[in-house]
Amino acid sequence: MKMEDMSLSGLDNSKLEAIAHEIYTELVEDACLGLCFEVHRAVKCGYFFLDDTDPDSTKDFEIVDQPGVDIFGQVYNQWKNKECVCPNCSRSIAASRFAPHLEKCLGMGRNSSRIANRRIASSNNMNKSESDQEDNDDINDNDWSYGSEKKAKKRKSDKVRGGTEGGAAGTGVRDGGDMGGHRAPPNAPLPPSPQNPNSPRRSKALKHKNGEIGGNPDPFKYSNSAGINYETLGPEELRTLLTTQCGVISEHTKKMCTRSLRCPQHTDEQRRSVRVYLLGPSASLPEAEGSVENDSFEVAESQAIMSRLQWDGSSDISPSDSASSKASTNNSESRKTKKKKPHLGLVSGAPGLGSSKKKKPKPPAPHTPSIYDDIN
Amino acid sequence: GLRGLINLGNTCFMNCIVQALTHTPLLRDFFLSDRHKCEMQSPSSCLVCEMSTLFQEFYSGHRSPHIPYRLLHLVWTHARHLAGYEQQDAHEFLIAALDVLHRHCKGDDNGKKANNPNHCNCIIDQIFTGGLQSDVTCQVCHGVSTTIDPFWDISLDLPGSSTPFWPLSPGSDGSVVNGESHVSGTTTLTDCLRRFTRPEHLGSSAKIKCSGCHSYQESTKQLTMKKLPIVACFHLKRFEHSAKLRRKITTYVSFPLELDMTPFMASSKESRMNGQYQQPTDSLNNDNKYSLFAVVNHQGTLESGHYTSFIRQHKDQWFKCDDAIITKASIKDVLDSEGYLLFYHKQFLEYE
Repeated sequence: MKMEDMSLSGLDNSKLEAIAHEIYTELVEDACLGLCFEVHRAVKCGYFFLDDTDPDSTKDFEIVDQPGVDIFGQVYNQWKNKECVCPNCSRSIAASRFAPHLEKCLGMGRNSSRIANRRIASSNNMNKSESDQEDNDDINDNDWSYGSEKKAKKRKSDKVRGGTEGGAAGTGVRDGGDMGGHRAPPNAPLPPSPQNPNSPRRSKALKHKNGEIGGNPDPFKYSNSAGINYETLGPEELRTLLTTQCGVISEHTKKMCTRSLRCPQHTDEQRRSVRVYLLGPSASLPEAEGSVENDSFEVAESQAIMSRLQWDGSSDISPSDSASSKASTNNSESRKTKKKKPHLGLVSGAPGLGSSKKKKPKPPAPHTPSIYDDIN
Repeated sequence: GLRGLINLGNTCFMNCIVQALTHTPLLRDFFLSDRHKCEMQSPSSCLVCEMSTLFQEFYSGHRSPHIPYRLLHLVWTHARHLAGYEQQDAHEFLIAALDVLHRHCKGDDNGKKANNPNHCNCIIDQIFTGGLQSDVTCQVCHGVSTTIDPFWDISLDLPGSSTPFWPLSPGSDGSVVNGESHVSGTTTLTDCLRRFTRPEHLGSSAKIKCSGCHSYQESTKQLTMKKLPIVACFHLKRFEHSAKLRRKITTYVSFPLELDMTPFMASSKESRMNGQYQQPTDSLNNDNKYSLFAVVNHQGTLESGHYTSFIRQHKDQWFKCDDAIITKASIKDVLDSEGYLLFYHKQFLEYE
């Protein structure tokens, strides 16, 4: 029966029923057929039995409800040896001790903040702000050697008794920068000094400058105290003088150096030029001949001087100068570098100059700590 | 989805919250269908990504307990006030964790982006954020000033604290709510909620300027729920930190498996005030029906104690999670427990 050919209005009830019945059976057939196709496809593709599990594996995953055992049937307390890797320091830590380790690792927690609070408290204290600023700068400054940092820490621990617990407001800043026991990164923020923030540092800088300058005048002073004003002397006296003494005229004081002929502060060139200047072009250093031997003499005597000054740097000077019969320019160069070192060595006399070995072409840098050590 | 968590050193509070979160059905569905797209500048510091990994671990089928050390590290770096090897409060951890997750969902690493809670659409807000309506009524002109604040949890006072608990509302005698009258002896969660939503007379020392009559007048304040979150977390204030004393209130509070929040809604209050007939609780309105799915308990004192949690799976199977040890629990165990944090999930979810 074709639906399109008929109009529903002209039909009687039985025919309407027949049409309705047909529609119904088609729908039912479609539904059943659809289901059959699905099952057939599932069986063919192999996923029809996927939801079913065999009794054994079901037992495996059953929840256990016995005392002394967790839901998986495992005994308690067998997990004590678990370890994990700290994301901060990449070390392997036992899991049950991870939290206290992480606290120290990140610099958080009560103890670390207590140390930081003490630092803030002591830096807030007026008397101690300058030195603390120095200490803070010490820690932050990359040029500082480890020795000075240790000294700074020791001083802080002395202040603990005096300092009060500072407010916690600063803790946030300090926790990020100054970690208890850790060296702070160079760009860690410093707590602002209650006074003019520039003044402590300026005074420190001045101190340092004073240190450098102060270091310098010492030998000058030393030579000036016994220094001789060459203008008052006659030529004969000058000549006699110049046979025994270094005689180099200091630019600062215009006086002659009264040290020995092998005074490490001045070079032979200087001595020669002084004698030429004072005594005429014919004048020469008493020991101008045999310069090669003199090198070794100089080396020996400079070593002696250095040992008197307790200066560790001597050992590296001798190899570079020793037995070198090469061009005198080499020797004079080395002598020039030698000159700078003893110059500063006289200032401090600190053994810390051992580090200067490696930094020979740049002598000032390694010596700064020693100067500061002296001052401190 | 059951797995133990190793205690990293006083981290039982964290373990309990993690268990509760991993068994929040909507959150679980969100993460297991991998719907998190990381917007953080450095994905290794994204807490949401770490949560996603955590869900994978929980549903991996492994039976050995998981070590949540990365989670601890991330939480400590992002919530500095929590950092430190000491015993901490589970509720505080929950709020901090939700806050960090919420920020990281929007890629906000430092809390610098402007936070508009009304317009945030992250999964945390969708699940946990509700609206608390605060009505201040002027006693003179009866004008009402209303504010709505977002909340992630509801902190309820308990009897036994220094502030008096009974009577619940001024002048009332304990009316019948939720089909249960106040039985002297056991405090119920409903009692606590009634107290929470009672009109409170603010007193003559706290006069508020009324915008209706433009004068300082005494007023009453009342809190109701404007919008309930899909997961409602109730925090029973058991730790008292008043000026006088610091102690733990161990009063037993009974809480139901199913909870109807209708009487505490702002809409109900309005209808009550308008004199409409208050419908019986088993009405056709299913919007406010909640069922319990997680309970966090604390045993011990204020200074030192241990957190454990009860977790529900598959409608009526409950499990006790004690760090690395998971055991089966009965419903009676759960309902008899003291209760500190109670997590309720909306029963019927509607599409908006």
